[in-house]
Amino acid sequence: MDAMAHTDQISMPGSAPLTEANEVKIAARGVDVFYGKNHAIKNVDVDIEDKTVTAFIGPSGCGKSTFLRCLNRMNDTIDIARVEGDILLDGEDIYDKRVDPVQLRARVGMVFQKPNPFPKSIYDNVAYGPRIHGLTRNKAELDDIVEASLRRAALWDEAKDRLKESGTGMSGGQQQRLCIARAVATQPEVLLMDEPCSALDPIATAQIEELIDELRQNFCVVIVTHSMQQAARVSQKTAFFHLGEMVEYGDTEKIFNSPEDKRTESYITGRIG
Amino acid sequence: MSDTTVPVASQVGHRSLLEPDALLKKRRRKESWFKMLGLGAVMTGLFFLVVLIASIVYNGIPAFTQTYVTVPVTLPADKLDKTGNRNASEMRKVSTFGYRPLIEQALIDTLADQGISSPFEDGGDLADLLSDGAAADVRERVLRNTDLVGKTVEFDLLASSRIDGYYKGRVDRVSVERGMVLTPAHLDVADALHERGLIERRFNLEFITGADASDNRPEQAGVGVSLLGSLFMILVVVALAVPIGVAAAVYLEEFAPQNRFTDLIEVNISNLAAVPSIVFGILGLAAFIQFANLPQSAPLVGGLVLTLMSLPQIIIPARAALKAVPPSIRQAALGIGASRNQMVFQHVLPLAMPGILTGVIISLAQALGETAPLLLIGMVGYIASNYPEGFLDGFVSPNSALPAQIYEWSKRADPAFYERAWGGIIVLLVFMLAVNILAVVLRRRFERRW
Ligand SMILES: Nc1ncnc2c1ncn2[C@@H]1O[C@H](COP(=O)(O)OP(=O)(O)OP(=O)(O)O)[C@@H](O)[C@H]1O
Ligand SMILES: [Mg+2]
Repeated sequence: MDAMAHTDQISMPGSAPLTEANEVKIAARGVDVFYGKNHAIKNVDVDIEDKTVTAFIGPSGCGKSTFLRCLNRMNDTIDIARVEGDILLDGEDIYDKRVDPVQLRARVGMVFQKPNPFPKSIYDNVAYGPRIHGLTRNKAELDDIVEASLRRAALWDEAKDRLKESGTGMSGGQQQRLCIARAVATQPEVLLMDEPCSALDPIATAQIEELIDELRQNFCVVIVTHSMQQAARVSQKTAFFHLGEMVEYGDTEKIFNSPEDKRTESYITGRIG
Repeated sequence: MSDTTVPVASQVGHRSLLEPDALLKKRRRKESWFKMLGLGAVMTGLFFLVVLIASIVYNGIPAFTQTYVTVPVTLPADKLDKTGNRNASEMRKVSTFGYRPLIEQALIDTLADQGISSPFEDGGDLADLLSDGAAADVRERVLRNTDLVGKTVEFDLLASSRIDGYYKGRVDRVSVERGMVLTPAHLDVADALHERGLIERRFNLEFITGADASDNRPEQAGVGVSLLGSLFMILVVVALAVPIGVAAAVYLEEFAPQNRFTDLIEVNISNLAAVPSIVFGILGLAAFIQFANLPQSAPLVGGLVLTLMSLPQIIIPARAALKAVPPSIRQAALGIGASRNQMVFQHVLPLAMPGILTGVIISLAQALGETAPLLLIGMVGYIASNYPEGFLDGFVSPNSALPAQIYEWSKRADPAFYERAWGGIIVLLVFMLAVNILAVVLRRRFERRW
């Protein structure tokens, strides 16, 4: 309910005030993305900081999801997509020929817009990542990871008695938290979330926002959202995208209170979008 | 309250809800017409189905019973076992010609014992009541149990197909008179034996387990061997077509690059699905028998031909089932760092399995009922006259298949074979039902794992 409290005014970025800048986790330089002839991302430069929640906002179709997918090379699975430019994770080019996207995705996890648990048990959903990446040596360790991940996703209390039941039998909000637990279980460094709350009610949304704030302690989180309030509440940095360009990027507080670009201003005041 | 009268529909200007307007009436009429038509179509279909099943059962059920004549046959040692040491391999020297007179004598004796008068003095004429294979049956049983020699043993001998037909209503006195073999006097004798319970119609397991018999012994023919032929072919199809088909579907759908070459393959598979089955038969003849020198009439070759035929039927629905797996599951797997291989085999394939199995079931049922291509590679019905000698031999020894056996019988002149063709169809349908039930059970298993 707390989440609903300040929907009418956009003022404070939610949590802890920013201290000095964290170190840069992901650096994008001159990134262009093409879907066939469609130039979806145009020359984007951005430095995404570690232990920070960065929000991508912008009108529909402006390329937020596209850019997010570049960060863990999910665009590789789209045949017609072509990515140019450099994206560095801890200083290493993730589009280097020697990089196997499978290994990259173990370090850069992703949560999707629609909850997509595997049609397997809750336990198996969470244990899947650790299993395929060989993170544990025995069952006990795996049990520990599953429990820790479910706790992180604020799902443990609801799930602990039904670990053997199918993950698809949960409510939408629970499923999305399960997907977050599944992503967290792989122990990634970066967590990408594409509109993780768009299918959820305000209560589940509030839970997930709280969760995102906690995840910031350990991860670099990038979240795409259509809700300005949400961006203001959970993020410390915000990037505004428009027609494939990144128009403005900076501290969330600054973007929402004193945007430099006209387009940003009209978007956050509701004139574009 | 008093001045608020409820307005009547006509007063307010719109029509009453209580009477439908003309347009609506017309729409409703169309709807009920369509309902009637649909119902009519379904009923017509049902009617023909009922007629079909009724006629199959009516025509086919008699094939499952057979008429037997019970006679005590004396088995003299001096004729059957000259050396006297009951050695079966030596007794094999006595052919069916040695046994025939014994049966003839047995019939004469039985008639005398029962006080049945007959115009036949010659036992040979009397033996026309029996199947041509009766002597061979007696011989078989004696060779299997040599202790019978020297005794008088009661045998249930197959009646000839005409006598059998007489009790099944297929043959009557008029047609017997016109025929060459039996006379109405034979029927008198048979009736007398029937009265005394010595001629009886009973369930005939031999029809289900037996081999095909030659043209003049329809009463001995059974579907057992050709059923085995069908079974061995299905084993080949299951072992080859299912894994190859599913693997091809997975490769084409999940791994193959999108280019001209894969497009070409795709078009070809779709076209293959529409190729008439007899074309596969001639292909099998050329490729497997003439070129690869595999044995003719072998279920192995039949299975290979049916495999070729089934592949497109398996691949096309399998691809559709794979395509139907929601993309969100693929993203989930990839997003967590699964390799493409892991994504396919741990998530996509299990989810597509019920759909894939449905295609497999349908293609197997189709393969099971296929006749034309088998005729081309020599798996004609009359070949199914010997049991294979073992499991492996079952794949290579000449055999037929159930539908080819049915076709063969339907061609033969004797109406007794016609009856057996119908009976064979019952067996075929039951066999198919069994295979389908098995497949459905398997599919359920797969569904429950998720
Ligand atoms: N798989 C794809 N194939 C082709 N074009 C695509 C694909 N995905 C996105 N696009 C195009 O790229 C552009 C950006 O799309 P994208 O999905 O990144 O927008 P978005 O900002 O996430 O929008 P939304 O807020 O509606 O999710 C759009 O013009 C879209 O049509
Ligand atoms: Mg999007």
